[in-house]
Amino acid sequence: MNSLSIELIAPRYGIAWYPWAVQYFFLIALSYGALWLTVPGLIFGSERWKPTARVALLAAMSTAVVAPVSLLADLHQPLRFWHFYAYPTPWSWMSLGSLFLPLYVGLVVVLAWLVWREPLKAWANAPGLQGTVGRIAPLGGWKSPHWLIVLTGLAAIVMSLAVMLYTGAEVAVLKGRPLWHTEYLPAMFLLTGVIGAAGLVLVLNRFSGLRYLTGGNQMLAVILGTTVLAGLAAAGWFAQGLMLNEGSVAAALESVRLNPEWRGVAFWAAGAGVLLFLSAGLMVIIRPLRGFRWIVGLLALHVAWMFRWTVLMDVQTVARNSAGYNDYSISLGSQGLLGIVGTFGLWLAVVLIINLFVPWRAALGGHAEVPEISGIEGEPSYG
Amino acid sequence: MDSARRLFLGQIARISAGAAFVPFAGVANAAINEQPPRRGGDPTKRYAMLIDLRRCIGCQACTVSCHIENEAPLGKFRTIVSQYEVESVETGELAQFMLPRLCNHCDNPPCVPVCPVQATYQREDGIVVVDSDRCVGCAYCVQACPYDARFINERTQTADKCTFCAHRLEAGLLPACVESCVGGARIIGDLNDPNSQISKMIEAHRDELMVLQPEKNTRPHVFYLGMDERFVDRPQAVPGLWDVRGEEGQELGYEFAEH
Repeated sequence: MNSLSIELIAPRYGIAWYPWAVQYFFLIALSYGALWLTVPGLIFGSERWKPTARVALLAAMSTAVVAPVSLLADLHQPLRFWHFYAYPTPWSWMSLGSLFLPLYVGLVVVLAWLVWREPLKAWANAPGLQGTVGRIAPLGGWKSPHWLIVLTGLAAIVMSLAVMLYTGAEVAVLKGRPLWHTEYLPAMFLLTGVIGAAGLVLVLNRFSGLRYLTGGNQMLAVILGTTVLAGLAAAGWFAQGLMLNEGSVAAALESVRLNPEWRGVAFWAAGAGVLLFLSAGLMVIIRPLRGFRWIVGLLALHVAWMFRWTVLMDVQTVARNSAGYNDYSISLGSQGLLGIVGTFGLWLAVVLIINLFVPWRAALGGHAEVPEISGIEGEPSYG
Repeated sequence: MDSARRLFLGQIARISAGAAFVPFAGVANAAINEQPPRRGGDPTKRYAMLIDLRRCIGCQACTVSCHIENEAPLGKFRTIVSQYEVESVETGELAQFMLPRLCNHCDNPPCVPVCPVQATYQREDGIVVVDSDRCVGCAYCVQACPYDARFINERTQTADKCTFCAHRLEAGLLPACVESCVGGARIIGDLNDPNSQISKMIEAHRDELMVLQPEKNTRPHVFYLGMDERFVDRPQAVPGLWDVRGEEGQELGYEFAEH
């Protein structure tokens, strides 16, 4: 017997995780992605990767410091955060995360300090606050031993893997939201995180005035490679889901079929991914376009952020018990737009403060001064 | 939904309703995302609810009395009766389908192991509760529940849900929704007592009982008698009430929109 149904009475289920969650997942993924980009230069000492490591360390450190703030803000009772440590719960991914995250942030901060205290010492005689910071922050005149930097770096990488694992697993274990319940989700968080981190390094490379040519090329290569991997992962998720009639793909197809907004999101996501791949490829092939690589960087950041917005916010609008979709429009206050802008503002403030008090450009054998852009007519500018 | 799939879902719904009576082995050492040991409550009891849909008239007396008893904020509900108008394509005949929803007090509750501070837990009598003094309001449990039975109470800023009115049960009273049900559709009782009304009804109707979303393996302990397979999962229905939009496509007329 075929029938048509109309839902007459159903409650409205609001969203439970706010844009703060998107900001946290975005910033923490940028942080671990950027940390991994420092590895060849910082841990293995590759000269070709040292410029990248210089910029990526700033990216990893600044995002690691800001990410927990937005996570805390997503709690409805933020002042009860100490309950995480008073009642440790080893069977909850979120509880495990509350142990991994501070260890990770702490190790990244110590790593940055070990690397930056060398150039900082040179500022000990500078006038004003910069000099005070230069005298106090290195905590003595000893040289940061290379083995300690490598050891701290390795420990930070181990913790970054733990953070990567828990952020993915925490969402993917939830059977209650079929769109999240797939092992491909942690992989996509990881890949889009690396894409975003490489994008952030490109943007910082341009706006710090460093404009490293090789570093920029390396980031384009990372974006190209990771975009291909992300495309393969998405295709794998889709193919496996179609074959096994897996819940996550079925739920996604249903949303795309029934809801024009989801159709828009699907086209946008596919379009942005393809555009990112093509533009990064174009920048590699057509050399005069180099000055615009930061735009590829912004696009990469957009892909990483939009993925998290779609996964964390849009999925919450898919009703589970009732028919149809819940409307969600972002509010202007701290649970919405102000929270998003505020997190980015805080990050910018952290970067500016580091830039003011730490000669991070001089780390790993770099130069403290911003290179002068040649005024000679016709000389290419390596943006 | 095609009829084969509907039949299949109906079958699992029945089988799973039966499986729920096999006692869930107490898990001593929980692995990640597995059930921690139960605590508190009367270990000799296992509370459950049976909802006889043949007796439900959709009056929402349960919704209102629960709201008054438990002081849920406006627009949030610990229980509510979903209501559907079903039209037969062949004959054009219309029928109403009423589906009271509440926390299923599952034997394998997905909301419990996710809680990072053990604020939400299952008592030994099967009731899933929240310690609102400990809850940090992370809303992880709200995401984990496939039945949307949980919400963040904006007054307490912590997770809120149906408790089977545990405070009333302890005082020897019936839950507010059961007390106020005009048709006597809601029956609460102890599954461990073979002489309780719920045990007898389950025994009598074992093959007809269904639970919601059985494929999620949550082993719900709210059993429906007179249930239709089409509503076991997310209903394939037109969202009539909410689909009222203005000229710019924005939804109109929702009083409790917050965010």
